[in-house]
Amino acid sequence: MRLFTLIGGGVIARVSRLGRASVFLYRVFLGGWQIFTRPSLLVHQIYAVGVLTLTIILVAGLFVGMVLSFQGYNTLVDFGAESSLGLMVALSLTRELGPVLAALLFAGRAGSALTAEIGLMKATQQLAGMEMMAVNPIERVVAPRFFAGFFSLTLLAALFTAVGVFGGHFIGVTVLGVDAGVFWSSMQEGVDFNDDIVSGIVKSIVFGFVVTWIAVFEGYDAVPTAEGVSRATTRTVVNASLAVLALDFILTSLMFGDV
Amino acid sequence: MNSKNPDSDVLVEFRDVHFAYGDRPILKGVNLTIPRGKVTAILGPSGTGKTTLLNFIGGRLHPDRGDVIVDGLSVPRLGLKQLYALRKRMGMLFQSGALLTDINVFENIAFPVREHCRLPEPVLRNLVLLKLEMVGLRGARQLMPSELSGGMARRVALARAIVLDPMLVMYDEPFAGLDPISMAVIVKLIGEVNDALGISSVVVTHDVAEAYAIAHYMYLVADGRIIAQGTPEELQASQQIQVRQFMDGLPDGPVPYHYPAAAYEDDLLRGGLD
Repeated sequence: MRLFTLIGGGVIARVSRLGRASVFLYRVFLGGWQIFTRPSLLVHQIYAVGVLTLTIILVAGLFVGMVLSFQGYNTLVDFGAESSLGLMVALSLTRELGPVLAALLFAGRAGSALTAEIGLMKATQQLAGMEMMAVNPIERVVAPRFFAGFFSLTLLAALFTAVGVFGGHFIGVTVLGVDAGVFWSSMQEGVDFNDDIVSGIVKSIVFGFVVTWIAVFEGYDAVPTAEGVSRATTRTVVNASLAVLALDFILTSLMFGDV
Repeated sequence: MNSKNPDSDVLVEFRDVHFAYGDRPILKGVNLTIPRGKVTAILGPSGTGKTTLLNFIGGRLHPDRGDVIVDGLSVPRLGLKQLYALRKRMGMLFQSGALLTDINVFENIAFPVREHCRLPEPVLRNLVLLKLEMVGLRGARQLMPSELSGGMARRVALARAIVLDPMLVMYDEPFAGLDPISMAVIVKLIGEVNDALGISSVVVTHDVAEAYAIAHYMYLVADGRIIAQGTPEELQASQQIQVRQFMDGLPDGPVPYHYPAAAYEDDLLRGGLD
């Protein structure tokens, strides 16, 4: 009986939290008009959330592309298929690794920062202070951060993929001696805009939405103590990473499941 | 004064307000009125719901039962737009100051003005400097909140609370954790601001001496109710045992020294078998 109570309590708590998160998201969208009337709020947050995440995204993209090229070459060369190296690197990055790894890195770098910032603003009564100054913190603080994260991740995932392709090119062509023309032409022939590029963009849009939603909600819903903010930040990274991987599976099944 | 109903002498009225956090009752039928143009102090031990009263006035919490009327408006019944319109006519000084930590003192005070008014920059600058001069911190306008002492942060927060010329300023524990000099400065400022701007002030505090120094009228809250009220002189003269314990700072009395627990002997004899 006690087990059922525990399970039931846990389920109710999670469903109620999901409900709170949904109402919160609705309020964020309602407050989203601020980004049109005061675009400077959005631009400032795109800098904080997107531009400051560029370094980790570019460096990680470069290394992932180089590793892919090494591993791909070693496998393909056994079958005399090293001419497909460019295609393999490009497909891996556009369909999967670009959106997924960029989202995971984004959750760790920008998502945790968003949660900590909003959580600390709550703990130090800055959000309450804004409310008492008749300034809606969801419009003024949360909405610009949410939309900035959402836009930024889509662009960061594209940059991750692009830099990864150049990393793959460097290892494949410059180091391992694959013909440059073959590398690019296999990519040109094999990568389909709708099937591969658009599916990658759709994934990064979905991941951007979910990761940023989790990050801003966890901050806003954090228990306003040092421990509460710390737990919320951890939850952001764990939940956002798991959500990205689960959604990636679902989206891949929907996009490529019938092939 | 930024009031819409200036003929009434009463600015804020609590009518039989009940409130509980979950199962824990906090307020059990509070009735009180806050007059216009005066400094009203709400005193009481920590955890008796004094700050909750301020949250009702600002509409950040709603009572479970009863009503809170501010300038003729029932706060719990206001829509979000009306509530925000009412809040523009109030200022609140939080215990922590609640300054925005990523902008400097000047920008903190300019923040509500920038959010609600479109003033030319030179006018805004003069307005902010005027308020900073009132609290004696005009020279500190470029400092960041992290560079301020506790007393300075509270003075900046006070300047921010009055920058829109509100009808009411609420002070949540304005003296807590301050050194004697900073405390004296805040005591002086609350009185000066109230008189100079012709506003009404509500001070929630447990610092008895400071409340005596500035309040025109006082309420004493304990056990979820108003247990005493009157002018500082009337409360000073009260022989009510609960009033005396609080005013004289006695460690034991109606508010017991010990948190409720099982008998001490029983607890020791159990040998840690809880």
